[in-house]
Amino acid sequence: MNPQDDKELMELKHDPVPGYKPVFVVVFTIACLYMAFILCHSPL
Amino acid sequence: MTSEIVMAADTALATDLMPALIFMVGGLLVPFFKGRAKSVYMLLIPVVGFLNLIHIPLGDHHHLFFGDFNLVLLHVDRLSLLFGYIFHIIAFITVIYILGFKNDVEYVAGFFYAGAALGAIFAGDLFIFFVFWEALTLGSVMLIWARKTPKAQAAGFRYLLVHAFGGLVLLAGIVFHYSHTGSLEMSLMTLSGPGSWLMFFGIGINCAWPILHPWLTDAYPEATIGGAVFLSAFTTKTAVYALARLYPGTDLLIWIGVGMAAFPIFYAVIENDLRRVLAYSLINQVGFMVVGIGIGTELAVNGACAHAFNDILFKGLLFMTMGAVMHRTGKINATDLGGLYKSMPWTCLFCIVGAASISAFPLFSGFVSKSMVMSAVAHMSHNPGQGALVFVWLVLLFAAAGVFHHAGIKIPFFAFFGHDAGHRVKEAPLNMLIAMGIAAFLCVFIGTFPQYLYSVLPFPVDYEPYSISHVLTQTELLFFSALAFCLLLLSGIYPAEQRAVNLDADWSYRIGGKKLYHILAGILNPLNTGCEKVVRSVASASAFIFKDAPARIALFVSVNIWLVFGIRGRYLELRKSRLYNDAMEGTMPIGLGAATAVGFFILIYILN
Repeated sequence: MNPQDDKELMELKHDPVPGYKPVFVVVFTIACLYMAFILCHSPL
Repeated sequence: MTSEIVMAADTALATDLMPALIFMVGGLLVPFFKGRAKSVYMLLIPVVGFLNLIHIPLGDHHHLFFGDFNLVLLHVDRLSLLFGYIFHIIAFITVIYILGFKNDVEYVAGFFYAGAALGAIFAGDLFIFFVFWEALTLGSVMLIWARKTPKAQAAGFRYLLVHAFGGLVLLAGIVFHYSHTGSLEMSLMTLSGPGSWLMFFGIGINCAWPILHPWLTDAYPEATIGGAVFLSAFTTKTAVYALARLYPGTDLLIWIGVGMAAFPIFYAVIENDLRRVLAYSLINQVGFMVVGIGIGTELAVNGACAHAFNDILFKGLLFMTMGAVMHRTGKINATDLGGLYKSMPWTCLFCIVGAASISAFPLFSGFVSKSMVMSAVAHMSHNPGQGALVFVWLVLLFAAAGVFHHAGIKIPFFAFFGHDAGHRVKEAPLNMLIAMGIAAFLCVFIGTFPQYLYSVLPFPVDYEPYSISHVLTQTELLFFSALAFCLLLLSGIYPAEQRAVNLDADWSYRIGGKKLYHILAGILNPLNTGCEKVVRSVASASAFIFKDAPARIALFVSVNIWLVFGIRGRYLELRKSRLYNDAMEGTMPIGLGAATAVGFFILIYILN
C-alpha cells in the first residue's frame, strides 16, 4: 500500500522556477528573429 | 408473409466467410473455453479472420434476397479492405492486451463490437450497414458497463441514449433516401434531400462532430481498461469510413473537421483525467480525417484513410499505456500520477512512441499520414476561389501543435515524469507489454517505411512525405511547441491540474436538460392541476344536479298539480316523500310520465 494512496491531491500547481525570466527573454528573442528570417525568405 | 429469404453465394466463393461473423460468433463461444485454451482460442479469432480476409476477392459477395430487396452482406473494395486490415490488426493487439483480465463480458463484448465494425465497413448496402451500425452500439455500451462502476453505468446509459437517437436518425435518412431514389446502394451522395441530410447527421453523431461529441469524452474514460482500447478503434473510424464512402468532397465536412481539430485542444489542456485527455485527442485526430474527406481529392481521401489507419494504432497504444498505468496504480488523474518512468520503463517508452506518432514526428506513423492531409489542403488552397482553405491550413497547423502539447507532452510528462507521486509499482504484465510493443513497432515501421501503408490506400499514391520542406516544417512546429510548453511550465503560467469537472457541450442535456425539466414542470404542472380542479368541480356539480334531477322535476310538476287539487299539510308531505323515494328508485306514476310526454309534445309544437 502506497502511503500517498489515501490522500488525493486536489490541485497540482506549477510554480515558477527561479531565474526563468532571462532564459525566457533570450529564447523568445531568438525565436522571433528566426521567425522573422523565415518569413522574409518565404515566397509570397 | 410470402417473402422468401434466400441466401446465395457464388460457388467459387463458398468458402469465404463474412469477417463480421467470425468475430461475432467466435466471440460468443469464448466463455466456453477455460485457461490457456481460452487465450489461444481468442488469439485465433482475429488471425483466422485476417487469413479469411486476404483471400476474399474484390466485389460483392453473399447476397440476401428478402422480398424485392437484394441485400449485399459483403462488399469488398480497396477502401473497405484498408479498414478491414487495421480492424483485424488492432483486434489482435487488443486481445493480447486484455488476456490477463479474465472478464468474459469484456471478451464477448469486444469481439461482438469488432465484428459489428467489420460488418458495417463491408456492408454492401445501406440496410446491412444500418444493422451492423446498431450492433456497434450494443457491443460498445457493454464495454462501458463491463467496468461495473456507478459512473460507468450512468455514462453507458447516456452513451446508449445518444447512439440510439443517432441510429434512428440514420434509419430515417435511409428510409427517406430509399423512398426518393428506390436504391439502398452505398454510393456517393450529395446533400440534396432530407434523406441524405439525415444520414449525414446520423453518421456525424458517431463521428463525434462538435457539439455532438460529448458522448465520447463522457463514456470512453469510464470504460474498462481494455474496453477503452477497443472503443478508440472502431466507432469513430467506422463513421470516418462511412463519410469517405458516402460524402467525399462535401465542403461542409471541411469546416466541421476544422472545428473538431481545434476545439478539443483547449479541453485537453485543462483536463485532469489522462484517458479523457486522450478522448479529446481522439476527436482532434478525427478532425484531420474529416477535413481530408471534405477536401475530397485523391490525396486528401488517401490522407484521411491513412491517418485513420495510423490513429487506430497510436491512439490504441496511448490508451494501452494509460490502461497499464491505471492497472498498476489504480489512478488515472494527472494530479495522482508522476514519476512512473522508474517503475514502468517499458510502458513509458511505448507511451513516448505513441506520443511521437500522434504528434507526427518524422519517422513515426502520424507524420506520413497527417502531412498528406495538410498537403492536400495546401494544394487545394492554390485553386481559384479556394483562398479560405489557407485559414483551414492554419487552424490544422495550430491543431497539430496543440496535439503535440496535450497528447505528445502532457500524457507522458504527467504520467511518467513531472512530480513524483510516490507510486512504486511493478512494470505492466507481459501480455500488455507485448501488445504495446507490437503497436509501437508498427508505429515506427509505418513511419519509416510508409510505402507499405501507401500500397493499400484507396487511390494510387504519388506522394513523398520525407521532403526537406515537410520534415523541416514539421520539426520546427514540434520544437517550437515543446519550447512553448517548457517556458509556460518554468514561468508558472501553465494551468494547474485540478480535480474538477470541465463544462462541455453535454451541459446542455445534463444540467440544461434538468433546468428545462424544472421550468416545464413549473409551467405545466400548475396548468395540469388547474385543469384537473375545473374538471372535478364541473363533474361533481353535474353529479349533484343530475343525481336526483328526475325526482325533483317529478316533484315540481306533481306538487303544483296536487296544490291545484287542494292537497295540503301532512298528506301533501307524505305524498312528496313517497314520490321522491319512488323516483329515486326509478319508478314513476304512469300518469306523471304521460303528462310529461304530453308536455314535451306541446313544447315541440309551440317551438315549431
